[in-house]
Amino acid sequence: MGERLQQQQSGRSMILAAVAGVALTAPLLGMMGFSFLATLTLLFISLPLLLLFSPLLLFVGLVFMVALAGFAIAATMAFAGVSALAWIYREIRDFRRFATKMDYKQQVGAQSHVEMGSVEDRSMLDLDDECLDSPGTEVQKTQVPFSGQQLPFSDGFPIGGNKMIRNGVYGSIKTVVFSNKLNLLMPFGPLAILVHKLTTSNGWVFFLSLLGITPLAERLGYATEQLAFYTGPTVGGLLNATFGNATEMIISIYALKSGMTRVVQLSLLGSILSNMLLVLGCAFFCGGLAYHRKEQVFNKATAVVNSGLLLMAVMGLLFPAVLHYTHTERRAGKSELALSRFSSCIMLVAYAAYLFFQLRSQNDLYSPIDEEGSHHEEGSDNDEDEAPEITKWESVIWLTILTAWISILSDYLVDTIQGASEAWDLSIAFISVILLPIIGNAAEHASAIMFAMKDKLDISLGVAIGSSTQISMFGIPFCVVIGWMMGREMDLNFQLFETATLFITVIVVAFFLQEGTSNYFKGLMLILCYLIVAASFFAHEDPTTTDQSKQPKT
Amino acid sequence: MDKMNYKGQIGVTSHIEMGPLDGAMLPMHDLVDECLYSSEMDAQKTQPILSNQRVLFSGLRVGGYKMTRNGVYKSIKTVVFSNKLNLLMPFGPLAIMVHKMSASNSWVFFLSLLGITPLAERLGYATEQLAFYTGPTVGGLLNATFGNATELIISIYALKSGMTRVVQLSLLGSILSNMLLVLGCAFFCGGLVHYGKEQVFSKATAVVNSGLLLMAVMGLLFPAVLHYTHTERKVGKSELSLSRFSSCVMLLAYAAYLVFQLKSQNDNYVPVGEEGSHNGENDDDEDEAPEISKWESIIWLAIMTAWISILSDYLVDTIEGASEAWDVPIAFISVILLPIIGNAAEHASAIMFAMKDKLDISLGVAIGSSTQISMFGIPFCVVIGWAMGREMDLNFQLFETATLFITVIVVAFFLQEGTSNYFKGLMLILCYLIVSASFFVHEDPSAVGQSKIPKT
Repeated sequence: MGERLQQQQSGRSMILAAVAGVALTAPLLGMMGFSFLATLTLLFISLPLLLLFSPLLLFVGLVFMVALAGFAIAATMAFAGVSALAWIYREIRDFRRFATKMDYKQQVGAQSHVEMGSVEDRSMLDLDDECLDSPGTEVQKTQVPFSGQQLPFSDGFPIGGNKMIRNGVYGSIKTVVFSNKLNLLMPFGPLAILVHKLTTSNGWVFFLSLLGITPLAERLGYATEQLAFYTGPTVGGLLNATFGNATEMIISIYALKSGMTRVVQLSLLGSILSNMLLVLGCAFFCGGLAYHRKEQVFNKATAVVNSGLLLMAVMGLLFPAVLHYTHTERRAGKSELALSRFSSCIMLVAYAAYLFFQLRSQNDLYSPIDEEGSHHEEGSDNDEDEAPEITKWESVIWLTILTAWISILSDYLVDTIQGASEAWDLSIAFISVILLPIIGNAAEHASAIMFAMKDKLDISLGVAIGSSTQISMFGIPFCVVIGWMMGREMDLNFQLFETATLFITVIVVAFFLQEGTSNYFKGLMLILCYLIVAASFFAHEDPTTTDQSKQPKT
Repeated sequence: MDKMNYKGQIGVTSHIEMGPLDGAMLPMHDLVDECLYSSEMDAQKTQPILSNQRVLFSGLRVGGYKMTRNGVYKSIKTVVFSNKLNLLMPFGPLAIMVHKMSASNSWVFFLSLLGITPLAERLGYATEQLAFYTGPTVGGLLNATFGNATELIISIYALKSGMTRVVQLSLLGSILSNMLLVLGCAFFCGGLVHYGKEQVFSKATAVVNSGLLLMAVMGLLFPAVLHYTHTERKVGKSELSLSRFSSCVMLLAYAAYLVFQLKSQNDNYVPVGEEGSHNGENDDDEDEAPEISKWESIIWLAIMTAWISILSDYLVDTIEGASEAWDVPIAFISVILLPIIGNAAEHASAIMFAMKDKLDISLGVAIGSSTQISMFGIPFCVVIGWAMGREMDLNFQLFETATLFITVIVVAFFLQEGTSNYFKGLMLILCYLIVSASFFVHEDPSAVGQSKIPKT
């Protein structure tokens, strides 16, 4: 006791210095922490674009991330030192019984800001469109964060997430930033229409409408999920399966109407490629980095079934292309068309059988590995009441409104794609295959990455590979049939280069998936494969699009 | 007579009881060509049923009238199958008559095709019978060689007539139909019957067969790509020499595969589930195993082969006429129609075995047959053509080679898991529909100008 008093008095100057130090460094550390979070968020947002346009920046980015990590460690150690001093301070204060409570609260508050440890299992924004397995329970968990999100609908204010501060600050900030950014893009839609009316700059209109479609696509997915609550798991799964890629389908139908069948083929192909390689690769990569030590597993059976379906789609696409290329069709032009239409019907039948099989064996064979266990705790009981954010009719109405908006913007998109291609000096093929799907798919991309980082790789896989399967086995044949009805000659002959690309990509992805495990290396490989594909299309001149005749809209 | 009735009843029971295997059940008539592991044990078990059909040799149409009660639906189906096949026998001589009397090529083609079908089935039966007397090793070899004897005989006749393209197309079609249609139907029907569980099969065998098929595709790919990229050293001759060399290599590979299979018969590749159920029936059936004596089987083998040769001759002669009469390309007839009808017996047996949860045998029938044709049948025809002086090579033209390639990849992928369900079967069947549709609109450039050399 006496020693303590002695310490008190002799250490008074030390205490004063400690206090001054704490007062100075605490805000500094707070700023450090915040800037670290912000940079990390920004990096993750821009990572896809970076990866696409500047391969070198990837390495710079990695170095940057490592530096930031070291910085964070230094910050943590500094904070540890400060908190040690503060503890001493507290002990002394304790002795004097002097505002202990306030110190404690300060410490706790400071701690949660800097504690960037494991992301807690808080349900994030669920932008999963393709989650057939258990859409009901899946979406339920994600509704709580949405309570803030609903407001943008009614008054257009980007809010959401302000209420989330403590647990998993890192994760919630990222969600908020993502959502906010996407919703911030909403005004670009009307802006595109304005620009179109005022100027003749096709490039700008194309770019703006593309940006404008992105948040609408995400909201459409959200509305579809909301509706899935009221219709039960079966119809909900069907809804997800059909509307999952509604944006691509709407764009394709508009392109078909304009007679731009090549753009349809290329954009659907690009969607498949970007989902299989880029989205999946990013998900594996980020998930692998987040879960550095262990290998993430996913349900091999679903992956294998999806790979088989993709192979079957490749088969359907291969025959018309090879038939045309070897000039061995009985009636030039007509044979491929007839074969394409027949194959499309078969592929649609196969997809229907797949849905049927999936929904039947939902509970038996193909339930994802982790999902069952983690669902039971959060369970239906807690979230069931607050699960759907909007009423049934609201969701239907919003679905309609969003579809209408997407249609309008798709119209502008399709009209200006040629002008944009000339203005930017890029081939239409490149724009359709690479640019369009990346930006259109941004929401799915983000959600896949988020789910991978939460070790829910099955959902990521559902988003990525399921989306590819849906487009290849449903989207493409559906467009052929729609073209058939419209009188457009849309066939499955994607030309040899594109068919070969799809073929090798499917084989590579099927091979990577067959093990049922993932790590950051596999993800990196897939991303690099996508870079190769993108570069190929950059250097590829599509013979048919140069003289694409555009028929007047009917 | 009592024995016959008892056998008939057992035949009924085994016809219909497609539930789980137990000791009392007897499997069906084994038309497996590729079932090297326990060919004689399988054949033994199937003899009692065939006792009815043996009477058919004498020309009486018996069998099936005594089977009434249990699972009428299924027994009728089976009976109809068997009866139908043997009913088709008179079509053979009918085809010859029609050929002599009228000039309708398409009718002769169709009738001879129908006539060959039961003969193919009987040939398989005779081969199995002979396998009893020769022991497992030679029996396996016999099955391996004569399993697709029908296709080989047709191909040899086509080679003699100089129709090398028909040879290529019919062998290709046989591979495709076995891999996609037969396997798909087997998976589909088996999956529907055993709805709750997933059927399993020996993954190792499937993988080995897939590997061999891929090797065959490789052997076919190089001459085709060489020709197509116009990068051969001596135009025309290079592909031929390469094809002949590759064929020898492929025959060597097939021989090694047989040795490997027979050697490790008891070690690694025993099919799942078969061992247990076999041991029980072994003693019971051993005495009544072979239905006909050794010399009978050899004689019947020779008679069947002779009949098949005669009908194949008519088949090959009239294929062009049929193609013109029906307005379908020769490619379509060779690739799709010929194998489907020719393979009808194997097809039916594969489906029946799948429905009885003996998926390994179905796999043996389907994939084993494909492997046999691709690694033995095709190279053998090349060598025979070499001996005959015909320019048969492995250049199947790009379209057909691409078809085979993608098909092998799809099937290898579907098989790698080792399980099956009705969905996979449906996928395979739909793939076959796409393939046949492609061949329907495919006009083969080389078949049009096919010169027909007078029979030597």
